[in-house]
Amino acid sequence: MRSLFTVLLSVLGLFSVVAARMQAPPDHKLVWISDDNPRRKEQIELFNLDQKQGLLNIPGFPANPVDGLKLDPNNIGMEKVIVQSIGGVGGDLFDSSGSNSLSAYVRSGVALDITDELKARGLSITDIWPAAAPSFVYDGRVYGLPCNVGVDTLWLNKDLFARAGVPLPERRPWTWPEFLRLAHRLTIRDADGHVLQYGFLADWGSLWQTCMAQWRGHLYSPDGKRCIIDSPEAIAGVLFAHDLIYKEHIMPTPIEEASLSGQGGWGQGTIKWFGAAKGAMALGGRWWLCTLRDQTHPTESGNSHGQPAEPTLRITAVECPYGPMHRFVCYCRSALVNATSPRAKQVIDFMVYLNSKPYNDLINAQSDALAPMRKYCTTPEFLKNPAYPEEDYNEVFRDVMAAAVPEEASLFADGQVVQQILDVQMDLVKTNQKSVPDALHTARIKIDAEIQRMIAADPTLRRRYNQ
Amino acid sequence: MSIAAARASEAAAVSTHWAGTRKRGDLLAAIAFLLPNLLGFLVFTVGPVLFSLIVSFSNWRLERTVPFQWIGLGNFRELFGTEEFWLYTINTLYLMIGIPIGIAGSLALALLLNQKLRGMIVYRTLFYLPSFTSGVALFILWKALYNPEFGPLNALINTTIHALHLPGRGPEWLSSTRNVLGLPVEHVGFQMRQWGIGARDAILLMGIWTGIGGGNMLLYLAGLSNIPPELFEASSLDGAGKWATFRHIIWPQLAPTTFFIVIMSVIGGLQGGFEQARVMTGNGGPAGTTTTLSYYIYTKAFEQFQIGYASAIAWVLFVAILAGTLINWKFGSQYTEV
Repeated sequence: MRSLFTVLLSVLGLFSVVAARMQAPPDHKLVWISDDNPRRKEQIELFNLDQKQGLLNIPGFPANPVDGLKLDPNNIGMEKVIVQSIGGVGGDLFDSSGSNSLSAYVRSGVALDITDELKARGLSITDIWPAAAPSFVYDGRVYGLPCNVGVDTLWLNKDLFARAGVPLPERRPWTWPEFLRLAHRLTIRDADGHVLQYGFLADWGSLWQTCMAQWRGHLYSPDGKRCIIDSPEAIAGVLFAHDLIYKEHIMPTPIEEASLSGQGGWGQGTIKWFGAAKGAMALGGRWWLCTLRDQTHPTESGNSHGQPAEPTLRITAVECPYGPMHRFVCYCRSALVNATSPRAKQVIDFMVYLNSKPYNDLINAQSDALAPMRKYCTTPEFLKNPAYPEEDYNEVFRDVMAAAVPEEASLFADGQVVQQILDVQMDLVKTNQKSVPDALHTARIKIDAEIQRMIAADPTLRRRYNQ
Repeated sequence: MSIAAARASEAAAVSTHWAGTRKRGDLLAAIAFLLPNLLGFLVFTVGPVLFSLIVSFSNWRLERTVPFQWIGLGNFRELFGTEEFWLYTINTLYLMIGIPIGIAGSLALALLLNQKLRGMIVYRTLFYLPSFTSGVALFILWKALYNPEFGPLNALINTTIHALHLPGRGPEWLSSTRNVLGLPVEHVGFQMRQWGIGARDAILLMGIWTGIGGGNMLLYLAGLSNIPPELFEASSLDGAGKWATFRHIIWPQLAPTTFFIVIMSVIGGLQGGFEQARVMTGNGGPAGTTTTLSYYIYTKAFEQFQIGYASAIAWVLFVAILAGTLINWKFGSQYTEV
């Protein structure tokens, strides 16, 4: 028996030596950690193809900087990116959504400061939508470039409006009282009071943030040293959002949302419910078209569900209503450079591509939100895409984007912890278990305590805080 | 010493020497064969465990702007002073309420499946079948069952309420922070308006269901088959009824099995709740009511990158598990000697 085990051990040892000597052929492609989205694959394919054919005539772009780009969707998620990058096995570039993610990446040291490199390549960020800045600029330094930007507008289901005999609102700025008049008429109940169709659908997180901004509320004081989310303005904004559910009854409560999720396989989320005609109006971004085009665009061979070629959903978009202030909240997905990547310089070369016309035009054509560069959102191709003639509302997104404000961030608070605090309190508000003033007061106390914890732990921050 | 005695002594010495050499040879061979596994265990299990103990005394965060410092018991002091920790400990213990019910259920089921009836193997297979299903698939199924408007559970409850002309309607299940003990969301205590059925109870019920038909039932079945038939014959001759047979023969004979199941269930209960919080209630919601200690560790380590603090929570959890096991051992082992 001992001889048998010895032979087995020797054979395994031999295999290990052979395996160690057999190395996979080197792959010099840059690895982009991003979601497994068909749009992303097209964006990568365009870059690889244009570069191969020498079509990338972009100022500041080297003749042949990289061997191409490949997608890695399996390692997406902040925890994986940070741990793998610190361990030296992360991708070359990775996605970051919003200021909270950016601050975590910068503070953990995995996001490379590319301010000077961009300057050296003559690349300016002034043409990028200014409201997107907190997603790639931290403490005055640039750590990446935006891949796409977004802002929520109001999607309208034309058929549900027609069925209710309600005229579509004009494409102009309009107020919440004007909106409420329509929303009530479009909320339809059966004889037992069960809602058959909601006047309005919205993701709670987007809604309360939009209302808070419109009511002049802020999360932080201008210097970022204090949380002021329990100010009368912030309370009024969040209360308005809460009232849309519990006072106006034009949008589903959390229980009704849970019920919507379980019916007929529509799946979860406002976008799916709007697509299933459960709501006449919905707060959402241009990126919704990535999903809704299956239903809104006529195709010769029938859509992906095997349904008839005629569109099953006729939609349009208008501005989201405004409150005391005509403002909307911008969101953005950026690509950051892994500071531990041995090919960081090549990644920065690729970054130039994100500012190029081919890339920006592709984003607009795909409806993957809006192109990050403002100037490419004014072109005739964007305003009237010949491939999708029914989408005659693109200027709405551009105009709303011009009125967008950046998402709020503070140098002195850990965005992830703040998010967790807000999630709990806003959950309680959404489920009507805590009053808005109480929830925001608790949130303010906890966030202020978090700020104090942060400055106690970080001497650099403490110095700046005390300045 | 005679020549014969000298030869015998020499032979014994040679034999001892040979046996010792052979023993050493066997030992070396055994170590050599165990070494790959042992090295892996030391490097990938013992090493990280000790490492986590060491870093639990530090402020280590993955953020480079916070300088690394040894802070002694600072993390533990902060942890015990944080209301969050106690709330999540209560959540963890709350979900463990179902353990005795699950154990009793699996024993009852095992007793039923131990009957000598035709087709019993089919019944046993059917009852064990859910254990083959992946956890995530089960959680998604239960999420659908708990749908407050269209789920079959509430359909049944609402129909019953309607038939009995009672007021009210079925619970909100996973959307609600209410619970049968009336525990408040944000502080430790009791609150009348929190009394009801909510997300914690939904997960608890699902846990009981999972516990009844799974591995525990199999262990009890194995335990039942090991009870000597003479004991049943003797009890029958003595005229013992079913309850007396259960109380005086089956229950004592199954004591070692029960002891093992209780220990494993307590360990599993203290470590549990992560997948349910991730799949069924978003991120441990609503309002943190399904966040257990294991999910709290994940949040602190991999969402907020406070590795030192998360390690401290892990070690507190370890001590709690150890204490639970020792208590079980002390008070439970006396019943296992049959």
